[in-house]
Parts: sequence; C-alpha cells; structure tokens
Amino acid sequence: MLLILMAYGCSFRAEAQETSEKPRIELKQSSQGASSFVVVGLNKATLAVLERQGPAGTLDDTFAVYAGAGDIAGRNPMLGETRVEGGVLVFTPRFPLEAGLPYQAILRLEGKLANSSDSQTISKIFTLKRGTTSAARVQHIFPTTDTVPENLLKFYLHFSHPMSRGEAYRHVRLMETSGKSVDDPFLELGEELWDSSGTRFTLLFDPGRIKRGLKPREEIGPALEEGKSYTLIISAKWPDAQGQPLASDFRKTFQVISPDDDQPRTSNWRLSPPKVQTRDPLELRFPESLDHAMLQRVLRVVDSNGASVPGAVHVSQAETHWRFIPQQDWDAGEYVLRIDSALEDLAGNSIRRPFEVDMTRPVTQHEDVLYSEIRFQIASERDPP
Amino acid sequence: MKLNHCFSRACFALLAVLAAWNANAAEEAFQQGSPDLKSAGSLAFAPEGVLLVGDSRSAAVFAIQTNDNQGEAKKADYNIEGVNEKIAELLGASPQSILINDLAVNPQSGNIYLSVSRGRGPDAAPVILRVAPSGEISEFSLKNATYAKAALPNAPDAEARDRRNEPLRLQAITDIEYVDGRVYVAGLSNEEFASKLRSIPYPFGQVDDGASVEIFHGAHGKFETQSPVRTFTHYDIEGQTHLLAAYTCTPLVKFPVSQIKPGDKIQGVTVAELGNRNRPLDMFVYEQNGKDYILMANSSRGVMKIPTEGIDKIEAITKPVADKAGLSYSTIDELQGITQLDRLNGERAVVLVQTEDGKQNLKTIALP
Repeated sequence: MLLILMAYGCSFRAEAQETSEKPRIELKQSSQGASSFVVVGLNKATLAVLERQGPAGTLDDTFAVYAGAGDIAGRNPMLGETRVEGGVLVFTPRFPLEAGLPYQAILRLEGKLANSSDSQTISKIFTLKRGTTSAARVQHIFPTTDTVPENLLKFYLHFSHPMSRGEAYRHVRLMETSGKSVDDPFLELGEELWDSSGTRFTLLFDPGRIKRGLKPREEIGPALEEGKSYTLIISAKWPDAQGQPLASDFRKTFQVISPDDDQPRTSNWRLSPPKVQTRDPLELRFPESLDHAMLQRVLRVVDSNGASVPGAVHVSQAETHWRFIPQQDWDAGEYVLRIDSALEDLAGNSIRRPFEVDMTRPVTQHEDVLYSEIRFQIASERDPP
Repeated sequence: MKLNHCFSRACFALLAVLAAWNANAAEEAFQQGSPDLKSAGSLAFAPEGVLLVGDSRSAAVFAIQTNDNQGEAKKADYNIEGVNEKIAELLGASPQSILINDLAVNPQSGNIYLSVSRGRGPDAAPVILRVAPSGEISEFSLKNATYAKAALPNAPDAEARDRRNEPLRLQAITDIEYVDGRVYVAGLSNEEFASKLRSIPYPFGQVDDGASVEIFHGAHGKFETQSPVRTFTHYDIEGQTHLLAAYTCTPLVKFPVSQIKPGDKIQGVTVAELGNRNRPLDMFVYEQNGKDYILMANSSRGVMKIPTEGIDKIEAITKPVADKAGLSYSTIDELQGITQLDRLNGERAVVLVQTEDGKQNLKTIALP
C-alpha cells in the first residue's frame, strides 16, 4: 500500500532560538517501509549527553511518541527504542505505524540540554495516510447451491481482500424470507475460523441447533426449517483488514429441503477418465453437493508407481463436479483416485461417518477406513477400445 | 535382608537415573532463542512460571519460561478501566486494532498475562503482555527467551494452499491446560467437523508426540456425534483426574484423562446441559467453604456457578428432559459481560469485562 506522509500541526512551547540549530522532528521511512521518528538539529553537546544516558537511562523520557491525538496526560507512550545514532536522536517504534492514526512525537529537553534556562518541549503530529485500495467484497459463498438440507452445517465466505478478525458474528444475519430474523443460528467462537490469508471465513451453524435431543434445538428448534426460504446477509459494515467497510451488503437466498442423514458413497460417483497423451481433465461427478474446501485437497491421483500426479483441481456445478487437470500429459496405465474419507457433504456426513449416528439402528458406516479408492485406467492409443 | 538392601539400592539408583533423565529431557526440550509465534491465542500456566501459548496459525503450543516469580498472588488486586485502550497506546495502535485473545494469571507472582493481536488482519502481530497489580502493562519480550515448542500433528495429505503458499486449513486452538505432566489442547478445524483433543507430554520432547482422541457426544443414549471441545478445565473425581469439558453444542461433560489414548475415541458423560444462548467461554474450579464449584463465563448470561456436588455419581443424561438436567447451577446476574476469567487466589478471580461502549475492563472480583 502506498503510504503518503502527512505532517499536520507543529507546536513549540519553549522559546527555542530561531537559528539553524533549532531541533525539529521528522518521520523517516526506510525502503522496506519501516518508520522512525528522528530529531535533527540537536547540537553536539546535547547529543553527547543523551548518548551517555543510553537506552536504559532517561532517553525514553526525553523523546517519546504517543498514539492518538489530544492530551497525553496519563497516557502510555508507545513501545519502541530510543537511541543516538549518526548524529541524530532516533525513536524506532516496536510495531509498524497504523495508517490513519495520528502519532504525537514529543521531545522534552530540560536544564542544560535545552541550552536555555527554561525547559524546551517540541512536539509534532504525524499521520500516515491510508492507501487508496478498492473496497473489499464478498466473492463467493459456498455452498453455491440454492437448495440446502435442513441440517446444513456451514458456509464458507470468500472475500476479495483480507478481512478484519474479531467481529465476524456481528456482521452476519440470517432472515426468513418473511423478514423474520433467525435468533442465534451460528456457532460463535472467540477463535474465529479464518484461513491464513484472512480471505476465507468458515461460518458454522450452531451444532446444538442441528443435533437431535439437545436443549437448544428442543427450546427453539432448528436454525433452518424444511420448506422455508432464507437469506444470509453479510453486512457492508464488516471491516477489511485495513478497517474499511465492504463495497456493499451481500445476500444469498436459499431454500431448505429435508435433512440429509446419508453419508456420501463413492460407489455413486461417476468418474470419466481422460484420453492418453492429453491434459484433458479427469472428471468426477457426485449426486449431491460436497464440501467445497475439502474437495480442493482430499482427492489425490496416484500413478501405478504410487507417486502423486501433480495438477490443479477445479470444482464447479454447485460442488457436484470435480475436475483434475494434470501438469503433464497423461500416460497410459493404471491409476488410483485416493479419497480421504473425512470428506463431508453439506450436512457434515463424511464418507467415514454420518454426522449423527442413530445408535438404535444398525450401523450405517459404509467405509470405516481412512481412505477410499477408485481405480481407473487410461488406455494407450494402441489398446483396443 | 541383604537382598532387600540391594534391591532398595538398585531402586534408588534407578530413581536417580530416571530423575536425571527427566531433568535432562526438560533441559533438552527447552532452548534459547526467539519463539516464532505467528499468533497468540489460548494461554495457561505450567509449573514454575512457564507460560503456555496456543498458536493456531503455526499449529503449535509454545512453553515459555517467564522467570516471573516475585510478587504475591494472594495480595494482588486489579482494576484497570479501558485496558484495551491502554494496550492500544502501548502498541501504537487504535483500540479498534487490538484484540485481547486470552488471559492467564501466573500463580507464582499474581501477574496477569494477556495474549493480544496487534492488528485485525492476517498480518496482525502476536504480542504477550504482562500486567502487574500496580496497573503497569509491559511487553513480555520473546527475544532470547527460554522456550519449547510442540507442533500439533497435521493432516498427512498435501494441503490446499493460498496465494501466499499458506495452508487454507487451520486448526483453531480453543483451549489449552496443563494437568499432571501433560498439556491438553482442544481444537476445531476450519474445514471438517473433526474434534480432536490432544494430550502432549510436558516438557515437550521427542519421545512421545502426544495422544490425539476423537471426542463424541451421546445424546439421550440414542444419537452419537463428534463434539469439538470449546473450553475445559480439570477436576479430581474420586481420586481420578478428569477433564470437565464444554462442547460447542453446549453439554458439559466429564471424562477421566486416563481414557485419552492415541487414536481412541472418547464419549464424555454429560453432567449438565447448558441450554440455548449459553455459550461457554471460559471456566475454572474453585473451593468455597469446603465445597467445589465451577465458575463459567458464557456469552449471554451472567457468570454461572455450578456446584460439583454429586458429579461423581451423576448418571449420564440419557433422556430428553426439561430445563435443568444434570448439575444445577445459579447465574450471578451482576457479573455481566465477562469474556475471560482466571482464578487469582482462593478468594478472588481476575475477569475481563466487555462494556457496551467498547471498553474492556480488567478487574478483580470476589469468588461468588
């Protein structure tokens, strides 16, 4: 982000002599963007005294920086290191400066240091102007389908820019199409579930409203009810990582159908092998939408030597279509599609285990293994059809 | 007699060797340097003033020697209004850019440690702050610290990564606690609804990577589901150390730590159902007039006080029941807005209170 330095306001309390030796405070920025506050114009004698004080001495009292404008009485100066270096007095903040926030740098010279019978205080306010980046927006919400099971477990919200943590749940609302707001539908966690880049947020429904036989669901029912339509509203007030609001509200309207208590079965998937010596996609179709995030990583193509085939994954058609495009042309031979059985459908039923096991019914697990496998062959051009 | 004598000597020698091995293991586990925290979340204390820090972004727990053993937790008292604003001043940021993630009291000194994010975005800097009873807030520097790191095992498959080559999948550490030579870590994935509770030997060594168990919840003896642990504490029940855990789906359960064996699954015994709008945030156990209580902060009510009496004999809640199933509790209405708490001493707790005007106050309260 381009930071433009602004200095507004400069106050002198003491009667420093108007000479070329008059100290002044400047803000310097290194080529890496690190900021430091520098006092230039101090005479050699003063610098020598300050240098003798050293960082462990009273240098911090001599030159300090305060975050925020206004009276500094009773406030903590910001953390940083003050030292004499290269003929100037330097304060290096412990953390990078925040754009848009005023910083008051205050130099207090007393006694001999002031070169005057009065103490001398010089202060200056600096503000780094916010860069002009475009407003963040919601790019996608998964699942993309507009019909979801009553026991839908989560949404993934994808943003165009890194977002701000700590207030996610304030900015998401679920409404019935009648306009009635759904109370407390989501699981609110102090440790919000973001990815590393801060652009993908996992919004879980409150499992207490999904699981059968629990008080939250008994008291006020499931968050979503079959047959009704709802709108998920992402408020434009949600700040991005720079504190700027979103470009606009985002709405996703969807219809709720019956709960899904069935595990995904790989035997119901349809695999279409590619042609040899091409980079055609290996295609896989599911009879239901599966978890978008997990589809990116839990399926692996392994060749007959046991090596993973490198390539890119594309998921489309309401997360019912998975395509794998290899980096190299396909060779003829036997392949295995290896699937982590933790893969879930929209209701949290995985290949390994349903979201809820009804203990009074026969065991329903289809594949109680860590991995499922689908074998396929890519025929050479010489092979008979 | 002679044989016994020899046997005793051999036992003594063996114990001495084991003790030395243990000490060496501790020394080897710890190193000098700057722990490379990417985030600072859940906090807890291990013995001898060692601070445990949960780092979700690194998928690791750090143990950092504080060398903070001066002071008296018994006499400590806190009342800092707008602690978030004071922290913002110190870190050179606006209060909106500060997140206080957790607090823990160092029982050796009575000083409070806060894990803070300086910044709200993915590049936020993790900071550990120390608050003294005088109200002075200082940075607990991680430079040249004595520390150990335990990496949480991750998925065996290659991860999907973002443009910065960082994994999209993370394990949010929701709580950590030291109990009898082990560190317990509760987590929740941002993708699959997995619920792992990890038990790591402390000090962190190479001998044992720790056990990981899947946590299940049985509702009314009929439905069984995976149930991530949101917050937990430990408690002795009939001489056996148990974890008391609050699930994300609100039941409060107990299970003995002896059940935590690698690869196993655990089904806790439900001892209370906390109901809707009642999301547990933090809890600990304390004693008052010879009886034990759980003090629990939750998202929408006053703090809950739950007597543990009868927890040893309580039957698992196996039928749908009206309001107060299992252990009964009372709500301390005057303690509103508490988002974090920790025990300070036998009579008082330290709490972080969120006010409606956006201020956070750090203060001491008498245990109710």
